[in-house]
Amino acid sequence: MEWVRIERTFEAPIETVWKMWTDPALFKQWYGPNGMKVPVVEMDLVEGGRRKLCMQMDSPENTMTMWFTGEFKEISPPDRLVYTESMCDEDGNILSPEAMGMPPGHPETTEVVVELNEAGDKTLLKLTHIGVPADSGGAGGWAQALDKLGALVAN
Amino acid sequence: MEVRDPLSDALSALAHPARRGMLERLAEGDASVSDLAEPLNMSLPAVSKHIRILERAGLIEQRQRAQFRICTLVPAPLKDIESWAEQYRSIWEARFDQMETVMKKISKKAEGN
Repeated sequence: MEWVRIERTFEAPIETVWKMWTDPALFKQWYGPNGMKVPVVEMDLVEGGRRKLCMQMDSPENTMTMWFTGEFKEISPPDRLVYTESMCDEDGNILSPEAMGMPPGHPETTEVVVELNEAGDKTLLKLTHIGVPADSGGAGGWAQALDKLGALVAN
Repeated sequence: MEVRDPLSDALSALAHPARRGMLERLAEGDASVSDLAEPLNMSLPAVSKHIRILERAGLIEQRQRAQFRICTLVPAPLKDIESWAEQYRSIWEARFDQMETVMKKISKKAEGN
């Protein structure tokens, strides 16, 4: 389970921020922080369309690559984008947590929810990042359950 | 039986909707095993199995009170999960820093034309 909620205000119009997420050429430029590169990004920008990307980390010893695939679940420009993401091989075959040596219950799929709101000439971005364990049946139930449990843990 | 770490046990315990439902109920206060079983459409042995999984993951404690088994939520593993999830926050913050830089470059270029 990964559950992160972040908000950030950008001094840019909402259409520009939307393009950062949906234009592969722009996406490549920011998605790989701290020395990681994004050499491949494929986006079929329709609901149910496939999303695939490669992240690359160069070190003196070698080059490490990781591939991710998933689909767009919701596309409502310019305010809402939801997509899933799982680790995969270069051909887009999803790799299970067990195959990666992890016990059952570890997240196999991630769901990312991006919500944009105009605030004058700025844009408020809300991101929710949910890890969906392999045997849990989907992210929707998670978000609700974690809301309630999270409130408890905060007290 | 393989050796598992506590975080994985907690993640596995949360990976079932019935168990999440039990934890939500316990978040409101202690409950007996029959209280926890009531909203679920499953046999008592199945309910007991889920309760054992939650107990082994350290998410609940049970005690006997008269003829009832009372369950209590133990929040520590949930806090551990939250801390583990926090690493993703710093990754996203770094990405958003970079997004800001890219957008500034774009707007400077646009102004220059």
